Amino acid sequence: MSSKFKQNYFELFSLPIQFPLDKQLLAHNFRELQRQYHPDRFANSSDQERRIAIQTTGYINEANETLKSARLRALYLLELQGVDFELCETTHDMNFLMDQMETREALEEAAQANDPLDQVDKISQRIKQNKQHLEDDFQHNLEAGNLVEAKEAVLKMRFYERLDDEAKHLQEKLEDEMFA
Amino acid sequence: MALLQISEPGMSTAPHEHRLAAGIDLGTTNSLVASVRSGNATTLADDQGHHLLPSVVRYLKDGSVQVGQSAQNALTDDLQNSIASAKRLLGRSIADIKTLDGVLPYEFVNTNSALPLIHTIAGDKSPIEVSAEILKTLKTRAEETLGGELKGVVITVPAYFDDAQRQATKDAARLADLNVYRLLNEPTAAAVAYGLDQDQAVDEKIIAVYDLGGGTFDISILRLNRGVFEVLATGGDSALGGDDFDHAIAEWILQQVKQTTTDNNRPQKIKNLRQIMQEARRVKEALTEAEKVDVSTQGFEGILTRTQFVALVEPLIKKTLFACRRALRDAELEKDEVMDVVMVGGSTRMPIIRERVGEFFQQPPLIDIDPDKVVAIGAAIQADLLAGNKPDSEMLLLDVIPLSLGLETYGGLVEKIIARNTTIPVAKAQEFTTFKDNQNAMTIHVLQGERETVEENRSLAKFTLRGIPAMVAGAARIKVTFQVDADGLLNVSAEEQLTGAKSTVEVKPSYGLSDSAIENMITDSMTHAKEDMQARKLREQQIEADRTLEALDSAMASDGDTLLSKDERKTLLKARSALVTAKKSGTATTIDAAIKNMEKTASFYVARRMDGNIRTAMAGKNINKFKHEGKQ
Repeated sequence: MSSKFKQNYFELFSLPIQFPLDKQLLAHNFRELQRQYHPDRFANSSDQERRIAIQTTGYINEANETLKSARLRALYLLELQGVDFELCETTHDMNFLMDQMETREALEEAAQANDPLDQVDKISQRIKQNKQHLEDDFQHNLEAGNLVEAKEAVLKMRFYERLDDEAKHLQEKLEDEMFA
Repeated sequence: MALLQISEPGMSTAPHEHRLAAGIDLGTTNSLVASVRSGNATTLADDQGHHLLPSVVRYLKDGSVQVGQSAQNALTDDLQNSIASAKRLLGRSIADIKTLDGVLPYEFVNTNSALPLIHTIAGDKSPIEVSAEILKTLKTRAEETLGGELKGVVITVPAYFDDAQRQATKDAARLADLNVYRLLNEPTAAAVAYGLDQDQAVDEKIIAVYDLGGGTFDISILRLNRGVFEVLATGGDSALGGDDFDHAIAEWILQQVKQTTTDNNRPQKIKNLRQIMQEARRVKEALTEAEKVDVSTQGFEGILTRTQFVALVEPLIKKTLFACRRALRDAELEKDEVMDVVMVGGSTRMPIIRERVGEFFQQPPLIDIDPDKVVAIGAAIQADLLAGNKPDSEMLLLDVIPLSLGLETYGGLVEKIIARNTTIPVAKAQEFTTFKDNQNAMTIHVLQGERETVEENRSLAKFTLRGIPAMVAGAARIKVTFQVDADGLLNVSAEEQLTGAKSTVEVKPSYGLSDSAIENMITDSMTHAKEDMQARKLREQQIEADRTLEALDSAMASDGDTLLSKDERKTLLKARSALVTAKKSGTATTIDAAIKNMEKTASFYVARRMDGNIRTAMAGKNINKFKHEGKQ
């Protein structure tokens, strides 16, 4: 069972090492592994077996979370190619950062609008589109072997993740206020 | 197939031996125990034929303990020694509960420990001990009925239960001398009870579990694929339940009797209110069958029709459906993808709830199993399986953590390490670095919640990693590992990579935020008198005011000097002192206004701080560095 730890995440789920993902196949193979290694299968086994089961499923779950997220999958692919990420490394693309700031401001303004939920929805849509562009950009650069550019795309993805979170929180807050 | 399973790791190849196992629904109002007998899961009754055990424990002078109906009967006469709704106190610290002083009838003991203790005639009791008494009673009932010792149990917990609450539940089981196979989320148990995993017609299906209890509401979205249950998302409202529907009727009655009552005698008034609440509940339950019900209380005679009732509770129903929509969004699913809707909790007996939930999900919900028993039955099925009594079963329950887990980083912000709805067990590591030259220690502050700042999340634990070798800032590599087991319990360790200096903590006690769940911890045994509700509203606003003040103070302490001009500072402080005054002497409404004003006044500052964070990133500086221990 420990040999599972030696496989990289793609191999673990019998998937090709690439950015495009067959989500259904991942979900299917994830469940098959869980079926074999989940701690519930060892409810009456020895403590050691139970500990190993927890560690193995922990690894399987982390692998699954990593591959499911486009950003983490991209980052992982680069790491497999030997690209280093410094702690807390970030992008220095000024235009990009200005754009981020403007989107943040737009979100704040949307909250004050007459139809805040619709406004936030619109911005959410835009964030999703931009995210998609970035993913296309990454895929293109990775295939072409432009690792520096590919890495830059991954760093930028983090910002959209945060924006996405923020938009989501805002939506939830606005909904809550409707009932306050 | 059978051959394959025998060779699976952990599967016993020894001759089969039936192990006694039970499922326990440890509820806020009532608890149940169920077991699988001759292939059928049923709840077990006491010697008088009652299945539901009221979750009330009474301590007597001679040290003996009453659990259940007899304790419930004594609630009014022996309030201080009869403890109800202990589940709401489980895993809460004394600080959490302090905000409820005057609301709860119990006398809390002041101790140095984080554990709240209730003073009773038989000594000081923790909520864990109280819960253990309920578990002991159920254990005895099960062992007498089944005729042998229980090998293990599955205990259900609400999906929203945090780490501390799950830990406390396990501790209670340990005190009751029970072997816990697994803590199971209540909605998952309900889906299991309906045997939805037995459906061979489809490969994969999405299930929604709508759970409206007395005081809480939960919605969970599950995915089932060839026997594997996955919780995709959970949501709800820990302060919305059937009691609120009673309130809506009570309010209506109050409006009708207003003209007739002139009695200003307070105890009499409270007594009247209690009667009105009782009548409200009766009317609500009667409306399940009848189209209209006669209302008679306090000399008021009237009729409440179902249509009127629906109008009264409309906002409550809408609120639950909004939570459903949110959970679906979290799961990234559309309504029409949901293939089964399971109803849980006594309040789902209301026809209007069934109707509206059916409309929302575009299909009639499942109501065949008693909504009070369905969770215990599911737990029993899972317990039977974990005991190894059903080696051919394909069923596997995969749970997720309900709230994100993270660490405090520089500037009072929270860096999430494990996102909510991640499948457990899970282990995740992240590297951090030092903030100052020669920094030799680092404080690891573990938090649970979805918000960006430390104050808004729940603090789970704080510990210090020492022995970091002298290095320039940013050179040390500290690996922090979060490990969550299958029950949702957390372990955190931190290790300096060069020297191997290590520090570990099992996250157990809970301090910090009082969330709305506790603020609304009006016990089910007590009636919500109007005076109490006003007092509660006021207390909530006071807490909110404190929160706003704390947020402002900590912001100004960290960057007020650099981000604010002298005049701006003055304006903020003026709004601040207005809020302090309102908090001391104001009403709920005036405090609310002062909070809103404070937030409006500070909005430019908030915006500037947010920009500040981005600018820091632009300058290539780290925002994820820990603050140095000495800075706190």
